Amino acid sequence: MAGLPALNEDQMKLVQDLEIEMMSDMYTRMTNSCHKKCIPTKYKDSEIGKGEAVCIDRCVAKYWEIHERVGKKLQKMSTQDEEALKKLAAEQGLVK
Amino acid sequence: MAGSIDVSGMGDQIQAEMQVKQFRDFLIQYNKLSESCFNDCVWDFTSRSVRGNEDNCAMNCVEKYTKVTQRISERFQELQMLMNENAASAAQKLGKLPMA
Repeated sequence: MAGLPALNEDQMKLVQDLEIEMMSDMYTRMTNSCHKKCIPTKYKDSEIGKGEAVCIDRCVAKYWEIHERVGKKLQKMSTQDEEALKKLAAEQGLVK
Repeated sequence: MAGSIDVSGMGDQIQAEMQVKQFRDFLIQYNKLSESCFNDCVWDFTSRSVRGNEDNCAMNCVEKYTKVTQRISERFQELQMLMNENAASAAQKLGKLPMA
């Protein structure tokens, strides 16, 4: 998240590609998860049932929400880590 | 998570590449983690928004995961050091290494 230096054009392209790659990776994972959660493996019918359709819609919404919450949580944890390190460094600076 | 390796001695280009690679690894880990915590914590699709207990479960899942990976890496490092020491002393006994 943080810590990337000022980027030139090539590097900007790299980061943009990265974003696309991550989005498609996340999309694949979401597809597999929601398929597993919403579609029984009996396959009596080739059509998506009404209940299945509703389940899929909600599953996608919830997956997004969890993904974002997890990202925020990770960010929060890493800033907490950094602050703890800074504090430790400051204390050691005082001792010396 | 990112920026944990000291790259100050390297050229700007290599340094930037390494940082992008580290960032990429981090993002993949992030995707895997949210997938795994979603799979373990969300079972109810009678509503569209995440419920309190699901959110609680997912946040604990994230925190616990980072603690587990940290602990595993500590134990792994200990084992690795032990193995290296054993290998070194075994080699010394066989006389393949000159005594320092």
